[in-house]
Amino acid sequence: MNSLKDYFSTDLQAMTTNDWVGTILTVVIFLLMLGLYVYVLRPKKREHFEKQKHIPMDDEQINDGDKNGG
Amino acid sequence: MDAVAEQKYDLGVVRWFTVMAAVYLLVGALVGVYIASELAWPVLNFDLPYITFGRLRPLHTNAVIFAFGGCILMATAFYSVQRTCGVRLWSNKLAWFTFIGWNLIILSAVITLPLGITQSKEYAELEWPIDIAIAVVWLSYTINFIMTIANRKSSHIYVSNWFFLGMMIMITYLHVVNSLAIPVGMFKSYSIFSGVQDAMIQWWWGHNAVGFYLTAGFLGIMYYFVPKQAGRPVYSYRLSVIHFWALMFGYVWLGAHHLQYTALPDWTGSLGAAISLAMIIPSWGGAVNGMMTLSGAWDKLRTDYVLRFLIMSLAFYAMSTFEGPVMSIKTVNALSHYTDWTVGHVHSGALGWVAMVGIGAIYHLMVNVFHVQMWSTKLINAHFWTATIGTVIYIVAMWVSGIMQGLMWRAYDEYGTLAYTFAESVESMHPYYAMRAIGGMVFLTGAAIMVFNVIMTVLQANARGTVQQARSATVAASA
Repeated sequence: MNSLKDYFSTDLQAMTTNDWVGTILTVVIFLLMLGLYVYVLRPKKREHFEKQKHIPMDDEQINDGDKNGG
Repeated sequence: MDAVAEQKYDLGVVRWFTVMAAVYLLVGALVGVYIASELAWPVLNFDLPYITFGRLRPLHTNAVIFAFGGCILMATAFYSVQRTCGVRLWSNKLAWFTFIGWNLIILSAVITLPLGITQSKEYAELEWPIDIAIAVVWLSYTINFIMTIANRKSSHIYVSNWFFLGMMIMITYLHVVNSLAIPVGMFKSYSIFSGVQDAMIQWWWGHNAVGFYLTAGFLGIMYYFVPKQAGRPVYSYRLSVIHFWALMFGYVWLGAHHLQYTALPDWTGSLGAAISLAMIIPSWGGAVNGMMTLSGAWDKLRTDYVLRFLIMSLAFYAMSTFEGPVMSIKTVNALSHYTDWTVGHVHSGALGWVAMVGIGAIYHLMVNVFHVQMWSTKLINAHFWTATIGTVIYIVAMWVSGIMQGLMWRAYDEYGTLAYTFAESVESMHPYYAMRAIGGMVFLTGAAIMVFNVIMTVLQANARGTVQQARSATVAASA
């Protein structure tokens, strides 16, 4: 490895079907994770998610029906 | 409050799982220290095949992973799912079946492994009849957990339950697929996989035993017990959701990074390394989330020794989830693989993360299921320091030893001849093997202190009749 350019160089012609499948799946997984981050971290979702964090603190009230119990 | 919980939930099986987890940590660590000492001082083999390193090492890993780890995972899952769902276990009888079955499996491991009865698959050594028993008992645990969630009185399923459930589902199919074998006798079978496929399946299981059993499951513990012990909600619930899904997406890809520079296709190793690096983000997010739960209340660490275990475990979790991805990179792996660096990495996760978060949960549970304070808080503090110092001594010894090993193995002279023989590298390891055994002994001392404290606490609870009082006390109508 003489330079960063050499390190990242890829012989695309030599890539097999398996190489492409692996590469594409990797990229897709990264994109899905990115999409998840955006979905969960949207400001308008903040209240929806954050109100659940009190469940362990309020566990004595769960059977009292104040958690819209079933 | 104790009476409410005692009468509202099934805590009997939780009590037994909790005490057995403490006992198994002591036993597992004891075997670990013995085999570490055998490597430093081989005379300890005593020429007895039953206690050689090759036979006791799987006993050590089975004891700490499946006996200690399994019991604390079952104790915490059965406890927290009831508390967060507001209902009893779906079936208390099934929970007792799980407890008895799991302990019989542990007993069978104690008998068969020293006798040399093994499938020779790492972290899956037990022979096929025991594998079937594991599947049955694990499913009983899973079904009971799922049905308890199905009966819940809360509308939302708290995130710790997601982590436990993720672990249960993944371990079910990982265990079944990895254990597929053709029996040729009661105590002998051969894997249906062979060659590089066998290696890939082995490490698909091996790394996911770490990823789902020792990480996702113990994160379930973290997300319930850190907030409860701290008396504060988790820092960010959104971060916990991201943490969960990123773990579920990512971990299944990592196994191939154990097989760099082997007959496995090169791209699979690269894929494993790439996803490993990506996993730093959610792992650190989760660690920060746990630690920041104490934001504004760091003073609790001065007085709450149980919380110290939980927060220290998160520091080790962050460290080992950074170290692992770095070691999966091919250039680093070329040096680290097959050396003691790997052993050091595993133990920074096992002792620092898994054991410490488990120990924190044991102390929390002891107080809440026996309805009595721990017999001695000073002993908890002594345990904290012995566990921390023992872990640090252990992993530092293995880091130095491992890097030295790697450098000695790859060193060559101007003619291209290896500079050192393998025996010379083994000789150089001796001081570090002795240091590792000492670190293990320090950690073991802490485990013994905990078991003593746990036994005294149980005796104290029995003498005062705290459980009986909680069962028979009159509970207010609102409860």
